[in-house]
Amino acid sequence: MNIFWREIKAYRKSTIIWVLVLSAITIVFLLLYPGFTKDVEATRKMLSGIPAAYRNALGLSLDNFFTIFGFLGYLFTFVLLAGAAQAMSLGTGIISKEDSGKTSDFLLSKPVTRTKVLTSKLSAALVLLAATNIFFSLASYGVARVVSTANFSAKTFFLISATLFLVQLFFWALGALFAVIIPKIKSVISVTLPTVFAFFIVSTIGAFIGNDNVRLVTPFKFYDYQYIIAHNTYEWKYVIIEAVCIAVAIVASFIIYLKKDVRAAS
Amino acid sequence: MNVILRELKAHWKGILFWSLGMIALIGSGMAKYDAYQSTGQSINQLMAQFPKSVQIILGISGFDLTTAAGFYGLLFIYIAIMAAIHATLIGSDMIAKEERDKTSEFLFSKPISRAKAITGKLLAGFVILVIFNLVTTLSSIYMVQYFNKGASANHDILLLMAGLAFLQLIFFSVGAAVAGINKHQKSSASIATSVLLLTFILYFVINLNDKLDFLKYLSPFKYFEAHAIITNGLDPFYMVLSLIITVVLIASTYFTYSRRDLSV
Repeated sequence: MNIFWREIKAYRKSTIIWVLVLSAITIVFLLLYPGFTKDVEATRKMLSGIPAAYRNALGLSLDNFFTIFGFLGYLFTFVLLAGAAQAMSLGTGIISKEDSGKTSDFLLSKPVTRTKVLTSKLSAALVLLAATNIFFSLASYGVARVVSTANFSAKTFFLISATLFLVQLFFWALGALFAVIIPKIKSVISVTLPTVFAFFIVSTIGAFIGNDNVRLVTPFKFYDYQYIIAHNTYEWKYVIIEAVCIAVAIVASFIIYLKKDVRAAS
Repeated sequence: MNVILRELKAHWKGILFWSLGMIALIGSGMAKYDAYQSTGQSINQLMAQFPKSVQIILGISGFDLTTAAGFYGLLFIYIAIMAAIHATLIGSDMIAKEERDKTSEFLFSKPISRAKAITGKLLAGFVILVIFNLVTTLSSIYMVQYFNKGASANHDILLLMAGLAFLQLIFFSVGAAVAGINKHQKSSASIATSVLLLTFILYFVINLNDKLDFLKYLSPFKYFEAHAIITNGLDPFYMVLSLIITVVLIASTYFTYSRRDLSV
């Protein structure tokens, strides 16, 4: 339990900053929503002149896309991006900092097994991410209530905002895996940021050409907002894919960490 | 000279990975063009009639996606963000690494002034930026040509890459200045990249609402927008502005780093 609390304390400040950043992104975008609704009216008029079959081919559903949820789906692109950066930096940093801070031999000379060290660290990171999500969801729900002109379903809202946590889980596990695989991580962010952005770019380029295969490779596209809005649930196929990825990454992290030659400070 | 060579040697692996990454990004991006092209022109024309904010949310923005050059223009913002991340990380790493890795005592016990060390480091960083830009330019020209069936896009690409170079300079100096001023080097890279992320998200916020246009000076991505560069060429005002930003930030790096207590 000592390691767990030690890490929670060490990351408390940066987690608070992340909550503020994520909430700020959401709030800034949501404040633009009233202006956006005007453009929507014009588009809606234009689109209603087009045959429905053609509209469907474009993937535009009038009812879903232009509601506050449609807008939320867009702004979540950026929330997920920032959230992924947080989660992966946390997952990588919480493990690699013993190595870069030259404190591994201090830590591992204590009467704790490596399994326990890794379990405590990863669960601390998990708790921090969960806390981030609770505060973030509540804050953005409040703002969405204020700016939205129409009533909206709280369930759909929280289904959408919970995708942040699901995406973060993926990057938390990936971060842990990277931390045990890459030898000598001097700067966490120079490992995590390019990785996160690589996934992000794959997802956005895939999105505007409407390629469905891309959804299998990038966690940013595991959860399709159009689907969530229309059906009020996740596509379970992707939840399962994600769960498998996470399980593999975490198990591999444990196996590698238990056996690897930890560099001693000298 | 020793410092330059030392830094280049320390970063060669990074250069290699980043170069491969950029080639992969441009290659896979343009490969998508091939797939997209077959969907035909009518959708493209329809999309172009949407209001700007709706276009942005749909992820299409004013480019003629049926031409290779237009599609490349759409990719440019992602090439730019990767270049910016790279430049920021290089800039902050060059300055921060001695204190972070506890080698500053060793370095400055050598007969070398701080200004000279920074000069060597910044020059090494500059060489790395040039390599990055060259790799990006060459692979862009090759990949676009490979998929292009219409008029040559080389002129547009070269202009865009010149814009990219300015972006690299700005973010390189942001990274260097943050590390120069900051006393706790563990956080330098995070602070510098936060600035970068902020300007990146700001770019999309500004695009979403015309009334926020006055904020455009805060986001360098707005200075060199692919759309504007392809239609009007590089804006001299923004080129000068970028150089001023770069010079001010580099000067403040020298100023602060030469004066402050280095943490050991």
